[in-house]
Amino acid sequence: MFRGLLISKMDFTSLLVIGGVIVFISLNQWVGEKWFIYLPDSFHQLNTIFLSIVIEAIPFVLIGVFIAGFIQIFITEDHIQRFIPKNKMSAVTMSCILGGFFPACECGIVPITRRLAAKGVPIYAAVGFLLTGPLINPIVVLSTYMAFGNEAQMAALRMGIGFIAAMIIALVISLFFQSSQLKHANIVSQPIKKESFIRRIEEMVKHSIDEFFDMGKFLIMGAFIAAFLQTYVSMNSLFLLGDSLAGSTVVMMGLAYVLSLCSEADAFIGASFRYIFPSTSILAFLIYGPMIDLKNTMMLLGAFKPKFVITLVGCITLIVFVSVMAVTLL
Amino acid sequence: MRFDIQQFSRTVILAAFAIFFIKLHVTGDITKYVNPKYDVMSQMAAGIFVFLFFVQMTRVWRTSQSARDHCSAGCGHHHGEDASLAKKGISYGILILPLIIGFSLSPETLNSTMAENKGMILTKGDASNTDTDSDPSSIHTNNSELHKTDPLPNNNYIEEEDYQKEMERFHEGEYINMQKDLFSPYYDDISLHPREFAGKEIKLKGFVYREEGLRSNQLIISRFLITHCIADAIVIGLITEFEQAHTIEEDQWMEIEGILDVTTYDGVEVPVIKGKRGKVIEEPSEPYVYPVLRRVAE
Repeated sequence: MFRGLLISKMDFTSLLVIGGVIVFISLNQWVGEKWFIYLPDSFHQLNTIFLSIVIEAIPFVLIGVFIAGFIQIFITEDHIQRFIPKNKMSAVTMSCILGGFFPACECGIVPITRRLAAKGVPIYAAVGFLLTGPLINPIVVLSTYMAFGNEAQMAALRMGIGFIAAMIIALVISLFFQSSQLKHANIVSQPIKKESFIRRIEEMVKHSIDEFFDMGKFLIMGAFIAAFLQTYVSMNSLFLLGDSLAGSTVVMMGLAYVLSLCSEADAFIGASFRYIFPSTSILAFLIYGPMIDLKNTMMLLGAFKPKFVITLVGCITLIVFVSVMAVTLL
Repeated sequence: MRFDIQQFSRTVILAAFAIFFIKLHVTGDITKYVNPKYDVMSQMAAGIFVFLFFVQMTRVWRTSQSARDHCSAGCGHHHGEDASLAKKGISYGILILPLIIGFSLSPETLNSTMAENKGMILTKGDASNTDTDSDPSSIHTNNSELHKTDPLPNNNYIEEEDYQKEMERFHEGEYINMQKDLFSPYYDDISLHPREFAGKEIKLKGFVYREEGLRSNQLIISRFLITHCIADAIVIGLITEFEQAHTIEEDQWMEIEGILDVTTYDGVEVPVIKGKRGKVIEEPSEPYVYPVLRRVAE
């Protein structure tokens, strides 16, 4: 009898949900026909770009929240205590190398990093992972190699300098911050009860859903701001700075930040600039973009304390700039 | 047993996301947002949303026992349940923003306003108007080698061998047909070595875009090149010259046949098409071009 009740309850719920969805969609279509046609053309362009960033990023965010859910349910603090070295230097090195093997996008990595920090991974190690995850991975290596006309030099520089910069950034962060820096202090987890595997999988999925609702809004905000800037700010205004080497490097870094491209695709965009900018600036674009960009910053602000995020963005900007310039001098 | 309005809204939102992604694929609108090469990713997203929707549905009704059930097992996340109503409203409002826009508006093809913002890569800056010297009629052309390539598969993966053959034909032939799938490699070669291609006959489709410094009989037949999604679009295009160019409005799609030549624009040698025939066309169903990915044959 209880079973019968459960099933009919589910039927009822699904009808309710379907009803809700139909109301939602038809309301939107009505609004679209009635009102949105009066909006200026540029606003339609803005919307298209905004949606395209969201559609492109969502699959990666979903993968990210699933991994975060997995970490939440299956990995205990004990595991982490055992695996992360006590020594700062080796903890940072390990997390940077681990990030290098981990194929993630810069928006998918934020929920994972947040979850790791909540599980007791030291913040500087989490930062190392956050930086190298999207920058150094097989897909990015391949696309960089292809984008620059099947030449290995740019791909090698991107990985090499990127790795060194990520190490330095994580070490600098370790000097300033010791605690978890999470926005919500109550995010600390308790030990896991022994439960059946199926039950734990179910919990993992539920956690992933909550994680999606937590992080999704920050991704969407970031995507909207990026689309807005792309629609209403002319790229040519960036070129005002652009004659000296330092100037053009700053321009390319600014571009990487605002465009918020996925690290798999940005090599092609970077390559399209190689006739007007020196390769140092292109390298800065390629290293800076995957580490930090607009939509990524929004998501970090959703997960970590503002002071920490601002310091991190500052550190990344400064250190990437200096290390790229240093390469030119060599 | 209690009906949980927040979990219910989440269920509706997940269902709406699933339907949105499915709709994109069914209507084919997805190509107006993301390079078709990445179709698999968003199909996967649609599947995951459907799955999440079913799991989420079990949470709509809560018994008092299960109220904090999944949390008892080491809850580490912030539920947003303690947030104020206004705060909750804002965060759900943000989350459904892409859904509202997605269901109420149809995707817009990028146009010349956007092109202006992005700027053309090869013809950036002000032009120093230099008149072209060569007279198109003096260039000997004959389109004896009219080759029509079979349309290549839409996903723009080309076997390395086929690609090499294509490019060879393109370099040696006298007639260039800038078809959608090879638009970008053809464009790259022509703009890098404009002299090599001078005198050849060319046919292409694109939208009309103008930049400062073009003469009244010049316009640019352009396409947006999409690497991953619309946000990374860049404009590529060839300057085209014909008498009535000034009468054509921006954003008008055209099919142009003409002869390639070299001109200088902003002090740089760039290719130019001396238009012979041109006609106004409808915007094609696939307005964007994509970079060619070569698959090296195993």
